[in-house]
Amino acid sequence: MTNTEVTRTATRSPEATTITRAEAEALLFLECRMLDELRYEEWLTLFTDDGLYWLPIVDGDPEDAPKLISILYDDAQRRSERVYRTLHTPVLDQAPRSRTVHMVTNVEVFATAAGPRILCNMLVSELRPGGPQQGGLNETRILPARCEYRLRQVDGEWRITLKKVLLLEADQPLYNLAFLI
Amino acid sequence: MEIRKTGLKLAKSKPKFVDLVRETEDTFDLHTEIKAAPEVFDAEMLKIFEEGWVFVAHESQVPAPGDYKTSTIGTQPIVVSRNEDGEIYVLLNRCRHRGTVVCRADTGHSNFFRCPYHGWTYANDGSLVGMAMAEGWPKDFDRSELGLKKAARVARYRGLIFASLAEEGPTLEEHLAPAKKYIDAWFDRSPLGSISVIPTAHKYPYPGNWKWQAENGYDGYHGNFVHESWQRVLELAGEAPVSDIRKFRRGGRAVGLKNGHGLLERPGGLNPAASWAGRMMVTHPEYAVALRENFDEEYIDYVSSRRNIFIFPNLYLFDTHLRVINPVTVDSTEVYLYVYGLDGVPEEMNEGRFRAHERFYGPTGFGAPDDVEIFVSNQTGGNARGVEWSIYSRGMHRETVNEEGEFEGHSTDEAPVRAFYREWKRCMA
Ligand code: FES
Ligand SMILES: [Fe+2]
Repeated sequence: MTNTEVTRTATRSPEATTITRAEAEALLFLECRMLDELRYEEWLTLFTDDGLYWLPIVDGDPEDAPKLISILYDDAQRRSERVYRTLHTPVLDQAPRSRTVHMVTNVEVFATAAGPRILCNMLVSELRPGGPQQGGLNETRILPARCEYRLRQVDGEWRITLKKVLLLEADQPLYNLAFLI
Repeated sequence: MEIRKTGLKLAKSKPKFVDLVRETEDTFDLHTEIKAAPEVFDAEMLKIFEEGWVFVAHESQVPAPGDYKTSTIGTQPIVVSRNEDGEIYVLLNRCRHRGTVVCRADTGHSNFFRCPYHGWTYANDGSLVGMAMAEGWPKDFDRSELGLKKAARVARYRGLIFASLAEEGPTLEEHLAPAKKYIDAWFDRSPLGSISVIPTAHKYPYPGNWKWQAENGYDGYHGNFVHESWQRVLELAGEAPVSDIRKFRRGGRAVGLKNGHGLLERPGGLNPAASWAGRMMVTHPEYAVALRENFDEEYIDYVSSRRNIFIFPNLYLFDTHLRVINPVTVDSTEVYLYVYGLDGVPEEMNEGRFRAHERFYGPTGFGAPDDVEIFVSNQTGGNARGVEWSIYSRGMHRETVNEEGEFEGHSTDEAPVRAFYREWKRCMA
């Protein structure tokens, strides 16, 4: 099966209120691969319209984020701007582009009234290749994070209402993170 | 992260520091070594950061007695501490016994600082109040001189706290005087004339000299190139076509002030299409009412200009944040962006500012990482030492000097950065 033939996590039934760990992993692994293969526009469709992609500086609830500054706090419009900017405009901060390898582990699924809540750990390895013309490059960075996902069913498919990535280094000085984590 | 270095160092030719800035009537050049030689960096820490006034914190970061915030003056670790009496102390973060750092947290609240090594205890004003197992010292051992060493001078202006490690020198008042009216207008965007720094900050390191950041915050020349992708995002979002943004960016002026300060100023006006303040006065009528209670229309118009104000040597006042430049080594820098709320404005207005900040700044912003990329490329380009000089003379032929001694240039000219290096040269002589 080629990469593009892999489809979304099948849901058990339209009225399912939660998912199994295997189903959660399938969704997370698919997302990892979309990001590593730079399929950013497809990645946008994993979210609900009111979904939030959030990298806090300090741990907390998404409800508290508006009064603070986050590393990243993207609603649907910001997400699509981000993807457009990265893929279709002359960005310096992604020239050369980051190569990433996303890994997800420690997946736990909790059923809540609002839908499944997934906790997991993530490790993103990132490299921007470069030689003597490009200072600060050619060094693999390791970005560990604790993540939370919340899902909701839309037209029989599970979509992301929250992707929260709490980087180990969240409150430390952070160099270029102009790729999707 | 390290920039490749060549073996050629300042020691080889031994020019004096002041010779690294070369100015004639119509040329202004900087020598590569000004941002590459460790000797220059060491001298800057002494002559610029330790002999002059340096921004250390804003009052809202240490609001209550017992609050503290650690920071640096140049590369020296310090604690900014608010004492019981409400006074603010700036203390060298070094135990007087064997020299251990006494306060390691970023910020916090404590009734005293206790050294982790042998437990000497200092009050919030730095005085030594306890020595563990005191019988090891003679009864008449004089503790009164063994408090945490205080910065020689601490002064505040509109909540901005500055410190100087030098007993002598200009007062803060004198240091800030050339920029005062701009600082005032910047604060007066708040109907209460004040700001509150929020607890989360953006921080970014880069492998390059601290002066790349100092030079860039009021550089109006790079926007159409470095930030083309940002302009395209604004166009996508339907906010403004790229051609309009570019027209707007030609307006305003870049100003070099005395004492090394400078600013980039974009025209304001109460036209909602052109200015943030103008837009806010329409969308939040209570903001317009509050401003009009304090000021006349002419001053409100003045306040509405957008200004990036640089206060020599380590502070920028930006529309959403205080930007503090922390030199680490000659080719390593950390920049902290302390986002603040304007006091006395509707909450949604500040939240709108926070979202606008996240959109452009920080490590995932649509603009700031592009700037950082340039700082690193600049530092790397410096390795091509076959070229010794860089050119900073843009607009010298068309700038004017007004009665206040301000060098006024076109918004894309290099007037402010020349003011920076004239002061740099004065300090380094
Ligand atoms: S070094 Fe601080 S008590 Fe000994
Ligand atoms: Fe910029």
